[in-house]
Amino acid sequence: MSNTRNIRPQVLLTVLLLILPLLGLALVIDIIEVNLAERITTLLYINLILVLGLQVYMGNSGILSFAHIGFMGVGAYASAVLTIPVQMKGLALPDLYPVLASAQFSPYVAMIAGALVAATVATVLSYPLMRLSDAAAVITSFALLVVLHTIMVHWSAITNGPRTLFGLPKATGLYLAAFSACTMVGVAVMFKESRTGLLLRAVRDDETAAAAMGAHVSVLRWRGFILSAFMAGLGGSLWGHFITSFSPSAFYLKETFVILGMLVIGGSLTVTGAVVGTVTITVAFETLRITENAVNIAQILPMRLVGLTEIVLAIAMIAILILRPSGIVRGAELGELAVFQRFFTRAMHAKSTIEKQQEESKL
Amino acid sequence: MLSDLLQFSIDALTLGSLYALMALGLVIVYGILRLVNFAYGELIMVAGYTLYLLGGSPLPWLVMAVMAIVMAIFTGIATELVAFRPVRERSVTAVLITSFAFSTLLQNAALLFISPRSRQVPLPDLFSEVVQIGEIIVPVRNLVTIASTILLLALFALILRRTVLGMALRAAASQFRMARMVGVPANLIISTAFAISGLLAGVVSLLWFGRIGSVVPGIGLEPLLVAFIATVIGGMRSLPGAVIGGYVLAMIDTGFNYLLPQDLLAFRDAFTFSIVIFILLWRPQGLMAGPATGQRT
Amino acid sequence: MLEVHGLQVCYGAIQAVRQVDLEVQQGELVTLLGANGAGKSTTLLSIAGALKSSGGRVCFEGEDITGISPEQIVRRGLVMVPETRDVFADLTVKENLRLGAYIRRHDLVGFRKDIEWIEELFPILINREEQAAGTLSGGEQQMLVIARALMSRPRLLLLDEPSLGLAPTIVEQIFRMIEKLRQSGLTILLVEQNASQALRSADRAYVLSLGTVAAAGRAEDIASSSDLRAIYLGA
Repeated sequence: MSNTRNIRPQVLLTVLLLILPLLGLALVIDIIEVNLAERITTLLYINLILVLGLQVYMGNSGILSFAHIGFMGVGAYASAVLTIPVQMKGLALPDLYPVLASAQFSPYVAMIAGALVAATVATVLSYPLMRLSDAAAVITSFALLVVLHTIMVHWSAITNGPRTLFGLPKATGLYLAAFSACTMVGVAVMFKESRTGLLLRAVRDDETAAAAMGAHVSVLRWRGFILSAFMAGLGGSLWGHFITSFSPSAFYLKETFVILGMLVIGGSLTVTGAVVGTVTITVAFETLRITENAVNIAQILPMRLVGLTEIVLAIAMIAILILRPSGIVRGAELGELAVFQRFFTRAMHAKSTIEKQQEESKL
Repeated sequence: MLSDLLQFSIDALTLGSLYALMALGLVIVYGILRLVNFAYGELIMVAGYTLYLLGGSPLPWLVMAVMAIVMAIFTGIATELVAFRPVRERSVTAVLITSFAFSTLLQNAALLFISPRSRQVPLPDLFSEVVQIGEIIVPVRNLVTIASTILLLALFALILRRTVLGMALRAAASQFRMARMVGVPANLIISTAFAISGLLAGVVSLLWFGRIGSVVPGIGLEPLLVAFIATVIGGMRSLPGAVIGGYVLAMIDTGFNYLLPQDLLAFRDAFTFSIVIFILLWRPQGLMAGPATGQRT
Repeated sequence: MLEVHGLQVCYGAIQAVRQVDLEVQQGELVTLLGANGAGKSTTLLSIAGALKSSGGRVCFEGEDITGISPEQIVRRGLVMVPETRDVFADLTVKENLRLGAYIRRHDLVGFRKDIEWIEELFPILINREEQAAGTLSGGEQQMLVIARALMSRPRLLLLDEPSLGLAPTIVEQIFRMIEKLRQSGLTILLVEQNASQALRSADRAYVLSLGTVAAAGRAEDIASSSDLRAIYLGA
C-alpha cells in the first residue's frame, strides 16, 4: 500500500467547508473593527489550533492526553526566548545563557521554531509512554503535564520561573491566526486520511488485532503524538506573541480543561467536531463572561462570581457525555454528510458513464 | 551514619504510608470498575475544607476529624452518582472526562463559595509534638501516620479476606458481570467501593493536613498524582501492588530529597518521574499482576 | 415455567437474535442447538438479564422479567452458567461457592447443608476447597461453576455449552451429573454444540439458525431428523 492515495472528494469538501467560514469570519471581524471582537476571534483561532492538535492524537488513537497544554508552554517559551529583543532580555531573563541572550529572530521564524522545539521534546520524552494503553497511558500523560509545568516553574534561566515573562513582540494578528488555524485544519484532515492515521484508528478500535496484522502500535501513537505536540507548540507560540507576556500558570490544568472541553463537546472523532466545539465554547464562554462581569458590577449577588464559567463548562461536559457521548458532531466529517453524498454518487455515475461512452466510441 | 539511615527510614516510611493509603483509595475503584476517578484528590480537599469550616466550633478535634471523613465518604458516593453511574456503560475515556469535569466543578465550587486563598486547618496538639528516638528527633505525627496506616491496611485486608462483602468486592474486581449473575448487587458493590475510597481519602487527608496545615482548592492535585503514579508502578489493578507502589514512590522521592544537590532539588519531581518511566519501560504492566481476567490494563 | 416471546437482541448494528420463541415446562430438560453464531448464547444471556434485549418478552413463572437486572433474576430462582465459565479466579473454591449462595448468605444453617449436598454431587471439589479457583483444570472449573450456580437453589438452570473444550470422559461425567440434577427435579435449559449428547439427555429441543428457531420438537424426533444436519451445515 503506498503512502499517497487518491484524496477522496469528501475530504477536500470537508477542508473547504471548514476553512471558508473561518476565513470569512476573519474578514467580517476585520471589517467591523471592534477591538474586543478581534481579540476574541484571534483567541478563537489560537484555541482552534490547540484543539485540532488534541484531536489529531486523541481522535485517532483513542487515548486521552493531558500533556497537550504542556507542549503549548514549551512552544511559547521557546519562541519567547528567541524573539525577546536583546535589550529587554537583560530585564526579562537576567540569567539567560549567553548564546540565547544575544539571539533575536523574526517572530515568524521563532514561532515555527517553537513548534519544532515542542515536537522535539515530545519525540524524546514520550516514546516510553506509547507502549501503555487505556488508563495507564492517560495517567502518565497527566504526570508528564505536571513535569513540564514543574520544569517551567523552576528553570528560571529560560522561563523567569513562576514570575511573568514579558517582552514578546506582538506579532500575532487576526489574519496570521486565521491562516494558521486553516492550515492546521488541513493538516489535521490530512493526517486523519494518511496511512498512519488509518492504522492508528485500527489500533484504537482493536489493539490486539491491529498488532497481529503488523501495525507497530507504539510507533504509530508516537507519530500522532509528535504531530499533536507540534501543533500545540505552534498554538503556544502564536498565543505568546498575541498576549506578549505570560507565566507558567497559563499552561496547566485550567487550560487543559478548557481545550479538552472544546474537543469533547464538539466531538473528538472528527476535525469538524474540533472546529464546532471550539466555536461553540468560545461563544458560550464569552457570553458567560459578560454575564459574570455584569453581575459583579451590578452587585446583584452578595459575592463575586468567580469560576462560574468553569462550573458551567464542567456541567456541560458531563451532560454531553451522558446524553451524546460522541459530541455534537459524531462520526462523520462535514464533507461526508449524507446530503453531499448524493452529489458524489451522481458525479461518480456521470464520470463512469462518460468513460464507458469513450471506450465504446474507441472500439 | 546509623542515625542518618534511621532518619531516612522513618521519613520514607511515613511518606510511604501516606502514599500507600492514597494509592489504595484510588485503586479500590479502578480495580473493580477499570475506571479512573479524577475527582479523587477532591475528596481530600473536601475533608480539608470540612475541618476548616468546623475549626471555629467548640467541638473536640476527633469529632471534627470524623465529620471530615464522613464528608469525604459522602463526596465519594456523590462522585459515583454524578460522574460514573450515568456513563459507566460507555467508554473508559468518557468516565475519565466526566470525573475530570466533576473535579473541576468541586474545585471551582470551593473557589466560589469559600475562597481561592489558602485556609488554615485545625490540628490536634498531638501533631505538633516531637519525640526522641536514639539521636534523631521525630515528629509524633509521623509515628501516628505509620501506625494508623498499618492498622488501616490490616483492617482492610481482613475485611477483604474474611467477610462476604470483601469476597464480593474481590469477585467483582475479577469478573464483574459474573458477580452480578450469582446475585451480587452491582450498584451496591460500586457504591461500597467509592465509600471505602472516601474513607481512605478521609483518613489520609487528616494525616496529610497534619503535614501541610492549610487547604486551597487545588490541594487535591498532589495526592491525585501520587495515587496515579503509585498505582501505575504497582500494577493498575492490584491492591497490594498499589500499596507497594506507594512505598516505592516514597522511597524514590525521599531518596532524591537526600541525594540531589541543592540547585536541582526543585526538579525532584522530574527526576522521580524519570525513574517511573524507566520502571514502565521495563515493566509496562506494573510491578505486580492484577486479578486474572485476561484483559489488558 | 419459562416463556420467551419474540426475543430480539442486537450487538450494535448486528442483530444476533431476530425472533426467538421458546418455552420450558417445569421439570423438563430442554436443549437449544445450533451452529456457531446462531444466537444460542445470546438468547441465554438475554434471558438471564446479562444482555439487554431490543424486543420481545421473557416470562418466568408467570412474571415478566424482561429487562430486569441479573441480580434480581437470580433472586427469582433463575440462574445461568455462562459458556466462559467465569470462575472467580483469585478466590478459593469454597469462596466461589459461598458467593454462589450470596442471595442466601444470611441463612447459615441452610448454607452448611448445601455445601454438604454439593460436595456429594461433586466429589472432585472436596479436596480442593482451599485451592484458588483459577488453578483448577477445565473440567473441575466447569463442575465448580455449576455447583456455584446450584448454591442459590435455583428452580431453573441455564447452562451454556458445559462441554466446551473438555475431554470426552469429562464430558460424560458432566452429562451424568446433569442427568442427576434433572432427576432431583431441577428444570434445565441447556445450550450445546454437542448435539448428540444433548439430545440423549433432553426431553425437547429447539434448533436455532441465524437468530431464529428453525426447528422445534421432542428430542427423539429432532435427533432422527435429517433436517438437523442441513441446519447445522447451512444447506
